[in-house]
Amino acid sequence: MTDLLSSADEAQALEDLHQRGCTDGLPVVIPTDDRVARMVLASGQAGDMVLGTMGPGHGVASIEKIAVAAVMAGCLPDYMPVVVAAVKAVIEPAFDLTEMQATTHCTAPLVIVNGPARHNCGPIVSGTGALGPGHRANASIGRALRLTMINIGKARPGSSDMALLGHPGKFTYCLAEDEEGSPFPPLHVSLGFAAEDSVVTVVGAEAPHSVLFAGDGDDPESYAALLDLLAMALANAPSNNAILTGGFATIVLNPEHSAILHKAGLTREDIARELYERCYLTPEMVKRLMPAFAGDNPSRRMAFKGPEQILIMQAGGSGLYSMVMPSWCAGAHSNSAVSIKVEADVFCEIPSFSSA
Amino acid sequence: MRDGINIANLGIPAVALVTEEFWAQGDFVAQSLGMPAVPRVQLPHPVAGTDTVTMHKIAELVAPTIIQALEGGDD
Repeated sequence: MTDLLSSADEAQALEDLHQRGCTDGLPVVIPTDDRVARMVLASGQAGDMVLGTMGPGHGVASIEKIAVAAVMAGCLPDYMPVVVAAVKAVIEPAFDLTEMQATTHCTAPLVIVNGPARHNCGPIVSGTGALGPGHRANASIGRALRLTMINIGKARPGSSDMALLGHPGKFTYCLAEDEEGSPFPPLHVSLGFAAEDSVVTVVGAEAPHSVLFAGDGDDPESYAALLDLLAMALANAPSNNAILTGGFATIVLNPEHSAILHKAGLTREDIARELYERCYLTPEMVKRLMPAFAGDNPSRRMAFKGPEQILIMQAGGSGLYSMVMPSWCAGAHSNSAVSIKVEADVFCEIPSFSSA
Repeated sequence: MRDGINIANLGIPAVALVTEEFWAQGDFVAQSLGMPAVPRVQLPHPVAGTDTVTMHKIAELVAPTIIQALEGGDD
């Protein structure tokens, strides 16, 4: 059972939580007994069920503690299955959470949601402004994950979270894939899940880097320029991906850019392979730009171990801009992306608790 | 810090070298892994990118302390 704090009123409770370093700096919903109990109930699981521990503080991630974070973040109970899946994902050893939380790099977990949970546990927005303000599920699910990282993982800036600057995605970083608008199969299907599954994929990510491209309808080869530009942004020379290599990275294609690549006959796997082949530094660049990492006889340095390390999804509004998110790519497992099935059939069918 | 603790857990004498900027984080990691007294020696920050002459000066400065810690003395 989580220890209870007491305060004269909710205003004082909020100040107490700020004072204890339990918030992300913004106001939170006070996790009262009733609110947490309702969130636990919506999980369909016992509050003392333990999913694992979260580094670097190695706090125990019980359903109840995750529910506390979900309440504080402003989640509706309907969102709880996605929050739980996201926590399960970052706890997986392949994600290197302990090291990721402690690094000086700016990285944050990007939460990508696929499948019916986008609607049943949200709506989790995939369209215009999906990573911006104004979408309650996107905002509060990503924030709930961050609050678990603060309060269960005990990542505190300057003492256990050593990010030199961080980035705004460390407050919240969650979106859905635009499966209905994409010409490609959903990301989770490409990763081996069934289309009817709901899946959360968590990947370490820098802030989004914008990629401007206006296609040329008269030039059937113009798609190659889009691939070149995406690759330049994805493994830009000073990025960890280019220098340390071997980590994951994410590409969020807008509808037009997806259509251009699809019209060129490329599948998601083809795009990943084309980008993989374009993402490298020459030996001369390695020697000149990063002698500390060059070694004695540098060769062509591929940014990725293989095309499978490049996650490609569609989201965002119609226009000229796609986004790429390079990553930290350190840690024992290079901070690998992790996908976890959402147990939505257990969690989301409690309508009387969905609008509290 | 974590490497030092893991090595110490193997029964091998270990001392963690921690720059002053990361000293508080070192304390946190040592506490959270249940070995708050793991020997550690403070280095100036940053060390990365330091020129060779300065690096030798730092090494000369801290080497006796490292040896003392490995021998089980106070750091």
